[in-house]
Amino acid sequence: MAARHLLRTPLAATALVLAAGLTFTACSSGGGSDEAGGDGPVTVTFAASTFGDPGLGPRLKSLVDTYNSSQTAVKIEPAAVPFPTFGQTVLTQMGGGEGPDLVRFDMPEFTAAADAGLLEQLDEQVDTAGLQLQPGPDQYMKIDGKRYGIVFDTSNYVMYYNIDLVKTPPKTFDEFMATAKKTTKGDVYGLAFRQTQAEENGVWQDIFNYVYGFGGAWSDGTNLTLNKAENVKGLEAYQSLYDAGVIPKGADAATFRKMFAQNKVGMELNNGGYLVATRGTNPDLKFSVAPIPFPVRAQGAIMAPIVINTNSEHKDQAADFIEWVLKSENQTALQEALGASSVATVTQRSAKQLEETPFLPVYDGLTNSSAPQIVLGFGPKTADIRKIVVTQVIAALQGQQTMAQAMDKAQDEASKIVG
Amino acid sequence: MAHADLVAPRPRRGALGSRWTPYVFLLPAAAYIVVFQAVPLLQEIYLSFTRTNLLNPTRSTWVGLDNYARIFASAHFRQTLLTTLVYVLACVVGAVGAVGSGLVVALLLNSSFPGRGIARALVTVPWAAPGIATALIATWMLNAQYGVLTRALRAVGVDVGESGVLDNPRLALAAVLVTTVWQLFPFVAVVLLSALQAVPAELVEAARMDGAGSGWVFRAVTWPVIRPTVGLIALLMTIWSLRRFELIWLMTRGGPLGRTRTLVIDLYSQAFDSKQLGAAAAVGMVGIVIALVVVAGSRAVARAAERTA
Repeated sequence: MAARHLLRTPLAATALVLAAGLTFTACSSGGGSDEAGGDGPVTVTFAASTFGDPGLGPRLKSLVDTYNSSQTAVKIEPAAVPFPTFGQTVLTQMGGGEGPDLVRFDMPEFTAAADAGLLEQLDEQVDTAGLQLQPGPDQYMKIDGKRYGIVFDTSNYVMYYNIDLVKTPPKTFDEFMATAKKTTKGDVYGLAFRQTQAEENGVWQDIFNYVYGFGGAWSDGTNLTLNKAENVKGLEAYQSLYDAGVIPKGADAATFRKMFAQNKVGMELNNGGYLVATRGTNPDLKFSVAPIPFPVRAQGAIMAPIVINTNSEHKDQAADFIEWVLKSENQTALQEALGASSVATVTQRSAKQLEETPFLPVYDGLTNSSAPQIVLGFGPKTADIRKIVVTQVIAALQGQQTMAQAMDKAQDEASKIVG
Repeated sequence: MAHADLVAPRPRRGALGSRWTPYVFLLPAAAYIVVFQAVPLLQEIYLSFTRTNLLNPTRSTWVGLDNYARIFASAHFRQTLLTTLVYVLACVVGAVGAVGSGLVVALLLNSSFPGRGIARALVTVPWAAPGIATALIATWMLNAQYGVLTRALRAVGVDVGESGVLDNPRLALAAVLVTTVWQLFPFVAVVLLSALQAVPAELVEAARMDGAGSGWVFRAVTWPVIRPTVGLIALLMTIWSLRRFELIWLMTRGGPLGRTRTLVIDLYSQAFDSKQLGAAAAVGMVGIVIALVVVAGSRAVARAAERTA
């Protein structure tokens, strides 16, 4: 009877609609704030998704502890925000006038935050004179000639291969295809990459290597070039591997990385962060790395700048920490903590590190030929362009159109968005 | 009779007898509705007429109907709208099935048998499980490589494609829908069970004594009592289907090729991928209008049913 009454009462019906409507209400969440103790050290919050990484997190926190114990005026407080929601969480906080003092952003979020005026200009705040900054990654830290970030780490994409399955790493795309085919037997696959809409960001990261590796680019810095011939060629190479049946179709990254560790996947293109993660969970796995065997030595990189939130009340202290990180000995310590990633400055690997991981120079040798996985000149629009490109590429993979048609459509759609 | 005896005694005006007392009792609920529902809704309406970036929400620009014009001009949004309507319609059809089977289960649970308590508890498991867990389990079961359901479907000759059900544009929406109905089913059963328990036993007994069979007892005694509850369940399931987010997001993220991209997925994408709060609010308003239509339709149906009763 109560139900009948509910349906008959206009007020109750209105309340029901309001309750239903609430779901459609776009809302944002506030962020955390930092605190300065009265007499104690100033607390500066530093948000990075890598603080929550089981392999990297403790090493990075140890570096922060070293800084905290080196002086008494400032306490850096690490804040781990999970990677999948990192950008959304921190950017929403910053948009609301709050957020952490220091942030380790990925490039898409970095460009979006800089474009929205949420980042402190670092030209005056951080002295980079006399530092031997890595020129490749550092060029992306400036927007319209102004510096908004310092490279915290750069993780270049390489080809990982399972030594038990692939004895000799391929050096050309044809060899890559042949090796993948030769390795594929039963439930063992020669290669794995992401190819589902549910992993849109991952697909973008993967196809980035094919596009750049075949001489393409998403833009010339001023105009979109999504349907450039080289891009189509690279994506057709990606599709040829998909069609050849050498990958576990439908498998997400978590699945095929598990398969790699179980000797069921021979090769994978991935970044330096994968080294620490794989070693941590599969210490007995025999694998090595080689440059991606595509015609052009150009590949993607997870480039992560450290930035100062313009809402921060402790900008000077935050800048002091960045300058401390940039000191030679701390760069060495940071690079050692990061494993296969590069840091802001040219830094030598220790003999011990090279003995443990002899193939580290492969990663380092790619630092200046790597590009961040954004659409250059359209950084803040990368997420929108990514969605369009990935949707069209997947439609091509599923046989609904050719790759050339896919990229023509993507070019048209994306051009409307960027104006 | 004295005049004083004819006059009804004046209501007491003590602390609980004031004519303001009902309003005082209503105040918390009214305040809740205003603060947590009406204000955000009005804010959303305003937001939908502005160009507002997530990263600079305080610097919005009034653009009138521009957001609405843009989203309706977009072929993707039209597909999203179509997908939403298909999903909701399919959910309503699925809900009918769920209501039917929920009714059978509720009737079974309402009867007396050994282990009835355990059976009642077990039936509620899908509803009690968090939506995230349900979505993850469904995703694993439908995994293209090792999913048990994928293997079972392949074993019986269903062509799920090499990339599996969730990446198959023909099957993804159906997979999400089946998971949705599976999750909703216990709610239907439990609510119907409580409605069935409100059916007066003496009426049932009287009908039986008059020689009515089970079908007639259900039609003449049980159904009139539980009909409003069934109507409410159908309405709620429709609205919930319209606004369902986590299940779809976790299973497909709106893919493949936008086949499971409903309004709420589009709203999220506009707000947090494209960072366009104004456009997201406009998408939300479209959802609210659809919800209004559903509620109005449901009320009309309820009224018509009452007239015929």
